[in-house]
Amino acid sequence: MTTNTLVPLDPLIHVPARLRILVTLAALNAGDTLSFTRLQSMLNLTPGNLITHLRKLEDAGYLTSEKNGDGAGSTTTVALTTRGRAALDAYTEALRSLLGGLAS
Amino acid sequence: MGEMNVVGDTNEAASTGEVAGLDPGEAAKILEQTKRQARRQFDPRSVLAAVVGAGVFLFGYGAVWWSMRDQHVYSGPAGWSLAVLYGLIAVSAIVGGVALSRANAGVSGRARRQRQAQAAAVAAAGVGAWVIEGALRYRGVSLEIVYGVYGPTVPLVALAAAAAGINAMRESWLQLGLCIAIIAVASVSTFFGPLGAWGLTGLGCCLAMLAYAAALVVQQRRA
Repeated sequence: MTTNTLVPLDPLIHVPARLRILVTLAALNAGDTLSFTRLQSMLNLTPGNLITHLRKLEDAGYLTSEKNGDGAGSTTTVALTTRGRAALDAYTEALRSLLGGLAS
Repeated sequence: MGEMNVVGDTNEAASTGEVAGLDPGEAAKILEQTKRQARRQFDPRSVLAAVVGAGVFLFGYGAVWWSMRDQHVYSGPAGWSLAVLYGLIAVSAIVGGVALSRANAGVSGRARRQRQAQAAAVAAAGVGAWVIEGALRYRGVSLEIVYGVYGPTVPLVALAAAAAGINAMRESWLQLGLCIAIIAVASVSTFFGPLGAWGLTGLGCCLAMLAYAAALVVQQRRA
């Protein structure tokens, strides 16, 4: 039996790398940020690849980034926004309803 | 993301792995796997650190108990036993510190600052208990009570009580259970004098740490 109701899946999130980025950031405690390098090593993405996805997610307001310092010692941190967390929750709910029971 | 000094790929869709028509089942699998991996990697709790902690109680406290077991009149633990105890405490602190720094690598922000403040609160409880120990000795309380009974138990109770409050607030039930078990064992063992304080606290807390480690393994496998 198939459902006739199309559940919208956020196309911005419905990409493996971006889904993994959001889920990883959502695993942090609220108010915490993650360094670009740690995120990159956790997801095993190239810097160019990761930054492209981060840029799209930041443009949508799903995450924020902040650069601290200058030159070689500079670090960039990223964090999920409230909007990003809500979008991920909505995406997870949509997936659940599509698949009929994704483990919470 | 304009601040990042990395040049983006020119053929984004191809190079960033954007999959047209990603299967929802596959997406659900990615979501669950990533959630599990991230939780595991951000989790500062370490089974190894818990087992090493159990070793501190069994072999460290045990060494002190062993060195005093034939004393009919309290004369204090042997120097070698204290060296074993403090050596094991140092090893335990290193193992725990490594696990903590691995989990928190690259993580910063409000929640991390809160954890640092909580760690300061626990440390203050321990330092306060040790200062009181010094004050008791200064005021003429016997060595047997100060170093034989108070030393191995009260600072431990103070540390565990502070940690229990924090874990209760975080709803970390497993750690809360461990803290309560340590408080119960250490406080009851004071009824049995210096040998009981070192021996029972060592054995009881070792068992509590091993039970915690086993429960942690189960919890981490289920997560």
